[in-house]
Amino acid sequence: MLFAGLEKFSGKITMQQPLLDANGTPDASGAVVEVSKKVYGFAHYQAIPQSLQDKFAQEPLLPAFLTTPFYLLLGYLLIALGVALLLGVRTREALLGIGLIFSLLTVGLILIGQEQGVAWLGIHILLVSAALVLSPYNRWSITRA
Amino acid sequence: MKFPPRQDGPGLNRRNFLQTFAAAGAGMMIMRPGELLAQMATSAVGKSGSDELRLALVGIGAQGRVLMDDVLKIPNVRFVAVCDIWDYNLTYGQRYLKKSGYEVNAYHDFEDMLSKEKSLDAVIVATPDFWHAPVTNACLKAGLHVYCEKMMSNTIEGARSMVQTMRETGRLLQIGHQRRSNPRYLVALNRLIKEANIPGRITTVNGQWNRAVSEDLGWPQRYALSADVLKRYGFDDMHMFRNWRWFKKCGGGPLSDLGAHQIDIFNWFLGTPPTTVIASGGNDYYKNHEWFDNAMVIYEYNRPEGVTRAFYQVQTTTSAGGGYFEQFMGTEGTVRMSEDPKYTAIYREANAPDWEKWINLHYLAAGKAEPGADSDADSATKVDARETAELAAYTLPVILNKPPHQPHLENFFAAIRGKATLNCPADEAFRSESAIFKASEAVLTKSLITLKPEDSIA
Repeated sequence: MLFAGLEKFSGKITMQQPLLDANGTPDASGAVVEVSKKVYGFAHYQAIPQSLQDKFAQEPLLPAFLTTPFYLLLGYLLIALGVALLLGVRTREALLGIGLIFSLLTVGLILIGQEQGVAWLGIHILLVSAALVLSPYNRWSITRA
Repeated sequence: MKFPPRQDGPGLNRRNFLQTFAAAGAGMMIMRPGELLAQMATSAVGKSGSDELRLALVGIGAQGRVLMDDVLKIPNVRFVAVCDIWDYNLTYGQRYLKKSGYEVNAYHDFEDMLSKEKSLDAVIVATPDFWHAPVTNACLKAGLHVYCEKMMSNTIEGARSMVQTMRETGRLLQIGHQRRSNPRYLVALNRLIKEANIPGRITTVNGQWNRAVSEDLGWPQRYALSADVLKRYGFDDMHMFRNWRWFKKCGGGPLSDLGAHQIDIFNWFLGTPPTTVIASGGNDYYKNHEWFDNAMVIYEYNRPEGVTRAFYQVQTTTSAGGGYFEQFMGTEGTVRMSEDPKYTAIYREANAPDWEKWINLHYLAAGKAEPGADSDADSATKVDARETAELAAYTLPVILNKPPHQPHLENFFAAIRGKATLNCPADEAFRSESAIFKASEAVLTKSLITLKPEDSIA
């Protein structure tokens, strides 16, 4: 959950640099290579891939006044809920929140016919449900479950 | 009366002079002729006395315009004259350069231009192929350096005469096989193939350039050349003038127009001309052309590590087949090069040694699936259990941030200034182009032709 949230803030930057050989000598042709690097930052925040956003935008049951705040909050919520779950802070509430997010995402994927994604999220919801059932036995909780 | 002090410099005496002279002579003996000529030209600078080079462009057709545009992007060179027998082209060139800030003199005849333009340093020749040799030889004899478009000539004798004139005059003659200066190709050859040995033993080469059917070029009637002018410059009529590439007395057909670039890459990358060629082709579609429109060629190369076979096809009746490329296929991998980066790819055989070192050096980059490749393909669609697993695809991260001809022109100008050696001097181009002449001959005679070593030496 935590990493799923962090990945929402990841992006790739492409840099141009001279091609160097094993001794660090620039190639005689003056060749320049494009090197991609994965970075994290608020500037790279994207809740879901643009291709999915485009498909959701065409869905009449997913109006912009609902999806826009969802996109704005999704990454932050995933990180906050992931941290809470890891530290054992309000574990039951965190699990309920995660279950709700997964359910909302599942509804979206059902509407655009992404069956594989629905099955994938369905497994997650089952795991979250099992965690909720077992939460009374959680010994790592800081606050009461 | 006092004589001024000697200017010989410290330590120069008769013994040192003789040693230096002997060493220089030995160096000349082991240089390629093209390199030697480049060295001889190192003292050459612009005739204007500055670093600026003064140029003329002969031939302002489609290719001439590409080169004109690219030259305009290069600092410290300027056009001072343009030449074309056709007013339509000549006016275009003169006006285009005026808009770019250059007032140039316009000529219909290159000999007239050479007699009047005495401040030229170099000439760019982009005429129809059969005028390459006469124009280039005249320019070289006038003491000018020449950048001449490929093919060198429509006849092997014409091409040979250009090499000989280059040698006699000591001027530079760069042939427009522009991939030879493209850093993407230079890295593919020097880093991927020679240093990293990415393909392993290259057993097969495969190249192609397929184009869709197109209409012959026309012309505005009011700009039609007179029969007298056409005859004087070797054309039967305006149709031949505009579509010279398809006529035997003017050009070399599609193997010369498109194949020349790519077969040159075969020869350059394999480091040797081929030993035999067989081919098939014909006038399958265009009935008003003399040269064949489709051709398939198979070369054999005898290399120290064994025989390499190379297949090349040029089709002008269909553009299908996956673009234009030159693909070097070996026991450990494949390097597929194209002037268009989207067709460039590197594939790794399962048994290849680790490429991690080369990836870390950015000689190649991991992982981008080939367009159209479907890794989730249903196994039921596989027709044969012996089918090899799909190869891992890699990319060439080298980029070219300028038009493809610009680095080759820059290399030519740097060689004139003595700061580089030519990447494709005429003798080297001849070595490669001799195999292209032989391929056309193989198509026409429908026979296997053996290329003797002396065939590729001018």
